[in-house]
Amino acid sequence: MSGDTALNLPEDLKTRALNNARQATPVEALAPLRQDALAALEGTAFPGRKTEAWKYTSLYALTDGHLAARAEGAAPADLPTLSDYRLVIVNGRLDEERTALPEGVTLGRAARRLEGLTTPFAFYNGAALDDAVTLDVAANTDVAAPIQVLHVAAGDAPSHCNVRLEVNLGTGSRLTLIEQYLARGPVLTNAVTAIQAADNAHLTHYRLQADAGDSLHIGTLLFQQTGVSRIDSYQLMAGNRLRRNDVRAFLDKSGAELNMHGVFVARDRSHIDNQLCVEHRVPDCTSNQVYRGLAGEKGRAVLNGRIHIHPGAKGTLAELSNKNLLLNAGAEIDTKPELEIYNDDVKCAHGATVGQLDALQQFYLQSRGIDAAEAKRMLSLGFVNELIMGLPDQAVADWAQPWLAAELGGRPGADEEAA
Amino acid sequence: MLEIRDLHASVAGQPILKGLNLTVKPGEVHAIMGPNGSGKSTLANVLAGRDNYEITGGEALFDGKSLGDLEPEERAQLGLFLAFQYPVEIPGVSNMEFLKAALESVRAAQGKEEWDSVTLLRKAREACKQVDLDAQFLKRGVNEGFSGGEKKRNEIMQMLLMEPKLALLDETDSGLDIDALQTVAKGVNSLRGPERGIVLVTHYQRLLDYIVPDFVHVLSGGKIIKSGGKELALELEQHGYGWLTSGDNGDNGKKDQTA
Ligand SMILES: Nc1ncnc2c1ncn2[C@@H]1O[C@H](COP(=O)(O)OP(=O)(O)O)[C@@H](O)[C@H]1O
Ligand SMILES: [Mg+2]
Repeated sequence: MSGDTALNLPEDLKTRALNNARQATPVEALAPLRQDALAALEGTAFPGRKTEAWKYTSLYALTDGHLAARAEGAAPADLPTLSDYRLVIVNGRLDEERTALPEGVTLGRAARRLEGLTTPFAFYNGAALDDAVTLDVAANTDVAAPIQVLHVAAGDAPSHCNVRLEVNLGTGSRLTLIEQYLARGPVLTNAVTAIQAADNAHLTHYRLQADAGDSLHIGTLLFQQTGVSRIDSYQLMAGNRLRRNDVRAFLDKSGAELNMHGVFVARDRSHIDNQLCVEHRVPDCTSNQVYRGLAGEKGRAVLNGRIHIHPGAKGTLAELSNKNLLLNAGAEIDTKPELEIYNDDVKCAHGATVGQLDALQQFYLQSRGIDAAEAKRMLSLGFVNELIMGLPDQAVADWAQPWLAAELGGRPGADEEAA
Repeated sequence: MLEIRDLHASVAGQPILKGLNLTVKPGEVHAIMGPNGSGKSTLANVLAGRDNYEITGGEALFDGKSLGDLEPEERAQLGLFLAFQYPVEIPGVSNMEFLKAALESVRAAQGKEEWDSVTLLRKAREACKQVDLDAQFLKRGVNEGFSGGEKKRNEIMQMLLMEPKLALLDETDSGLDIDALQTVAKGVNSLRGPERGIVLVTHYQRLLDYIVPDFVHVLSGGKIIKSGGKELALELEQHGYGWLTSGDNGDNGKKDQTA
């Protein structure tokens, strides 16, 4: 933890980020965005220990030099198939051979400047992109099957990649998008996903983060509900060496509805930091957030749920619930709702709890012959199961259930690591 | 099969059982009656191995093994079953998944053949039918949102599947209407057999009209103060517990024990 004294980590990260951006191979379609982002990056500081929004998450792991190299590893052969339609993005670059898209969806390779994203990592993402993927869903198209976007990152040595996905839902369109992150090796994925929904658009969104334990992820998910639209987002996240997820949602047209459901699991020594921010900027929008967190061994999880109701946003309905379960005393979860309400005519409910496994429930299972470890596993799975059972797509549920069960059973080697 | 000698036990450091003696042999049905707070549930929980229910003196042997040395799951694997007075709700864990885990573990430990999932489902449906519980309850979370009566039926349903050697039923009759009581009693009676012991803990003798015990014991102040045949239950019904508990009957338990 003494890294900051020997070197100034925020300064060092910024210098590397700027150098990388300036030296990146030019890509014509991305030039305007990169220029803008570079200018913004020059005027932004990277977070240090005193930065409030990074209170619980240290970037010390990055002193291994992730920003010094680009990830160049090959994608594993056995990638999960959750739909007939999919995109495979390897270390930030689209694998064109493996692209299959349904009718009504147009693929682009540019990216736009994103209002509302002001973090240094998001600027760096824009300033150093090699590639970007944009999906435009045509108006009044009900996309036949889900689109699975596989974000693969691979490398044997500390390295990183910048990943950018933008999805624009046209008026009256419907889409199911499955974003799946699969990093292998000590690679930092610096991801930005931006989704815009026009009037009467309906998106079902999954964000499945099953990266390997030694990988790192710093990502921003942006929802821009510019139309009277509905977004249902399901976020399933396993901890890794460092996982930081910023979610920013803008409800910008009266009648828009956002539902976010999340499960995060931090076992062993893994880390997850969720920073949620929902902006109600106009009257009569609805947001509903339900997150369940679980930490075991020396796992560490954070959730900060900000709900910002602007002065004009009368008639807002906003709810946030975050229940957490600690499997043992060495684990830690910090959860905090953060409400900023500047209008009296709103309904806003929030609740956050951190608890332990119920001893009586555990006794009940054991009294039926189930051993203590299995009883604990069943109870922790039960704790998040409600959300899994609620997943609207069977293919995703079928993939998620065994994955989460394995996460909750503890990974091989968990005991040694925790000892 | 169950041999309890001079058992002393504390709950969260508080002494509750104070020298309890009881012997149950295969094939016998015993009823333990007693006023509220006399320690009936404490006895059941001590035998099942609940945390904080600590044996501080004497011993409880099940098939010759000292229960105090065993984890709750080991006791269940040996064939001990407790039907809880207040079955706990476990949302998110389905009844079926729970039964599967329990039966896999217990049947394997007892050297019984494993049931595949088709067999398990068939057996579970049969057991539900036997206690008049809709098979839909198998899909629900364990006891989640069940009424009091449904919880009790769910306990007996589990018991029928687990085929325990020794069944302890803690106030299984309370909260049941007369039809439900008869259904539950039928379920318990179907389990009666020369190899099995049953201990009914009850506050009222009503249940004993349907499950006729071989022995009746009165528990008061943490020990058994009187034992007798089934007619003792009727006496208690007529006269209450007062005539037993007002005098000092401290050590009757040992002498009257007919086992
Ligand atoms: N968890 C507990 N902590 C402290 N005291 C308890 C606890 N459970 C029961 N007791 C006490 O133990 C005594 C016996 O209770 P219990 O065994 O439940 O009686 P019964 O089942 O016969 O009604 C009562 O005085 C009760 O208050
Ligand atoms: Mg009781």
